[in-house]
Amino acid sequence: MRPLTITTREAVTGPVLEITGDLDHETAPELRKAVDDLTFASGQLLVLDLAGLAFCDSSGISALLSARNLAIEHGGRIALAAVPANTTRILRIVGLDQVFAIHPNAATATARRSAAG
Amino acid sequence: MMCRTDQSAPEPGEEQDVDATDAVFTSLLEDSAEELYEQAPCGYLSTLMDGTIAKINTTLLDWLGLERSRVVGRMRFADLLTVGGKLYHETHFAPLLQMKGEVSGIAMDIKTAGKQRMPALVTSKVKTSEDGEPMLIRTTVFDARERRAYEAELLRGRKAAEEARRQAEADRIRLQEALAVLQQSLLPPELPEVPGLETGSYYHTASPDLLGGDFYDLFPVGSGRWAFFLGDVCGKGPQAAAVTSLTRHTLRAAALHDADPVTVLNTLNTVLHDRYTSGDTRYCTAIFGVLEPDDGHFGVHLASGGHPSALIQRADGSADYLPTPGGLLVGVLPQASFTAARARLLPGDTLLLYTDGLTEARTGPDRELYGDDALRAFTAAQPPAGPKALITALSGLLASFGDGLDDDTALLALGVPAALPTPGAKV
Amino acid sequence: MDGKLAGMDIRRRNNVTVTGRADGPVLLLAHGFGCDQNMWRLVVPALAESYRVVLFDYVGSGRADPSAWDERRYSSLEGYAQDVLDVCEELDLRDVTFVGHSVSSMVGVLAAAKAPQRLSRLVMVAPSPCYIDDEEYRGGFSAEDIDELLESLESNYLGWSAAMAPVIMGNADRPELGQELTTSFCATDPDMARVFARTTFLSDSRQDLKTITVPTLILECRQDVIAPREVGAFVRDAIPGSRLVTLEATGHCPQLSAPQATLAAITDFMGAA
Repeated sequence: MRPLTITTREAVTGPVLEITGDLDHETAPELRKAVDDLTFASGQLLVLDLAGLAFCDSSGISALLSARNLAIEHGGRIALAAVPANTTRILRIVGLDQVFAIHPNAATATARRSAAG
Repeated sequence: MMCRTDQSAPEPGEEQDVDATDAVFTSLLEDSAEELYEQAPCGYLSTLMDGTIAKINTTLLDWLGLERSRVVGRMRFADLLTVGGKLYHETHFAPLLQMKGEVSGIAMDIKTAGKQRMPALVTSKVKTSEDGEPMLIRTTVFDARERRAYEAELLRGRKAAEEARRQAEADRIRLQEALAVLQQSLLPPELPEVPGLETGSYYHTASPDLLGGDFYDLFPVGSGRWAFFLGDVCGKGPQAAAVTSLTRHTLRAAALHDADPVTVLNTLNTVLHDRYTSGDTRYCTAIFGVLEPDDGHFGVHLASGGHPSALIQRADGSADYLPTPGGLLVGVLPQASFTAARARLLPGDTLLLYTDGLTEARTGPDRELYGDDALRAFTAAQPPAGPKALITALSGLLASFGDGLDDDTALLALGVPAALPTPGAKV
Repeated sequence: MDGKLAGMDIRRRNNVTVTGRADGPVLLLAHGFGCDQNMWRLVVPALAESYRVVLFDYVGSGRADPSAWDERRYSSLEGYAQDVLDVCEELDLRDVTFVGHSVSSMVGVLAAAKAPQRLSRLVMVAPSPCYIDDEEYRGGFSAEDIDELLESLESNYLGWSAAMAPVIMGNADRPELGQELTTSFCATDPDMARVFARTTFLSDSRQDLKTITVPTLILECRQDVIAPREVGAFVRDAIPGSRLVTLEATGHCPQLSAPQATLAAITDFMGAA
């Protein structure tokens, strides 16, 4: 059991949440809360950097979906970065790989926008 | 002693304090033994061995509201008590005093003026002569009104706590019974008999307290067709159980209306998406399919919403997935796509549906995920002996995971019985 | 109701003590309400010299087995009489002189009526067949008094249990009895004591006195709040051939406050038998 830690930083494109540890039934509410607490401007991109994600179950998936809904509600978008292999597998099975934009790392995720802007 | 008023004298104030203390002390010393006895904060009395009162102090007389002349030599100690006190005195207090020579802290009521009673604590001690002969009894009576009130409070509190505990217990039992009934209703039903088809199933909840989110069913949809589904609602507990219930009923109703698998999943998707708000996303994964009998075999038409692919165990001993890539979790997006697939179940073939509790179980020294490949290999290694045998083998596999299995697991196996070997046929 | 519980030893159930001359005439000493067989400790040594002395505790008192408690059974004197009969049968006692204190005297009356072959003599120590005044009968308590008593039992039961601590039994004047630690003296469960009290003080055994056919000795104290002098006379008049002895003692327990006089009266009565 690795505790969940969430570090928030600002990129040009919008907030980036670096998530490390286990994302499960117990810790999923923490991610929800972190996303809730963000100040999100319309048109911004929320990036979830999952490089340090050790474990993700269906509660974790729910938390990712909630984050997505919240971003959309605020008129923004969401992207996942550096998704670990196992989580990628799950996302593929449940078809969410077509719902989330997925990037190999946070740099790429945040670069894209600025290149276009 | 003269007080110095001379300013140059050291600390005149202090000297005056000493004077004051001395004065109080002296007056205390002048307090006679008599006054200490008569005005004591408690009641004193002395009686002969038969209880006749020989001496009694003013404090006690005042409590009793009696004149000394009426009491001394004329009344007994027991006469000062209420009926209950008298009885207690005769049956417990006096015998105890007789046996032990002293009794202390006994609660009794004394009769006070105006037919009132005063709760008291009584301590008595027998005074013996030098030869050990009992001579008289000395008794102290303490005003126990406060203590009695406190005891009454304690008793009241205790009774209330007892009552609350009883009530809580009754409530707990009622809730337990209600919960058991509800849980029963959420369990997958007994599978029906399907002509020409064998069935097997398995259902296990990791935690008996948390209602599971796995579900499956098998039911007729007319024209000899049989619909089946198996799925997994996200989360656990009463919320998930409510979604499970809604999902099962929606799938059944939709199937009876139009059994096309993609259509059915679309209906479920709409229902779940509309029902639950963004603050409380509820979704599930599910496979829905229809079995159609056709000339000695069954056609399978199924669709998956984000659920692990079904596995087919073939009569020749092989095992392969029936892939349904790209199907989305059901209930997440307003418009979703679900991938359909078709297959044929020939005699000796078995279709296996499962929830990810099986493939996500942790096994081995490194606690790795069991995984899809291992499941396929395991199934292929089993002799193709029909659904029940396969379920039995998989139950054993699940049991072998021990605590590596921490999720709910549901299995549904549907198979066509192998053709009986005709006599004389070449193997 | 069958008094014997299957498998339960009566000796253990009623904390039976047997002492004295194994071949002597049998005295069965029965305590009344309040305390237990320890009430007799000042007279037992002398009695044991000449008699076979059997002591016991009623269920609900002393060190009798509390698990044998049955509120329905012990809400009637018949229940206590059954304890007496159980003890007699268990020890196969015959030609018994039953010595009952206070309400136990009436229990003895009931037992003697049921088992005349076992109880052949009665000694009543400070008896009373009925505690409540009634038209021409003076029991010593008015109906209000008894109500007040029962109410005080209800409300003051913490007080009743205050005397339940272990007691070191010593006897400065009878050092040969030695020092004993007894946890049982006056150690009654308050709920059981309440039932025993109700049963005792609401009982009316006046009619049962007529059934007595055996020689009976009645001991009363000169001054007894619980059993006034009128009661002693009433009992003597109700039992043909009975003898009433007034002891120079005050209080309700002459076996404690005047043990010598009590002993003398009993042995005198036994000698005459």
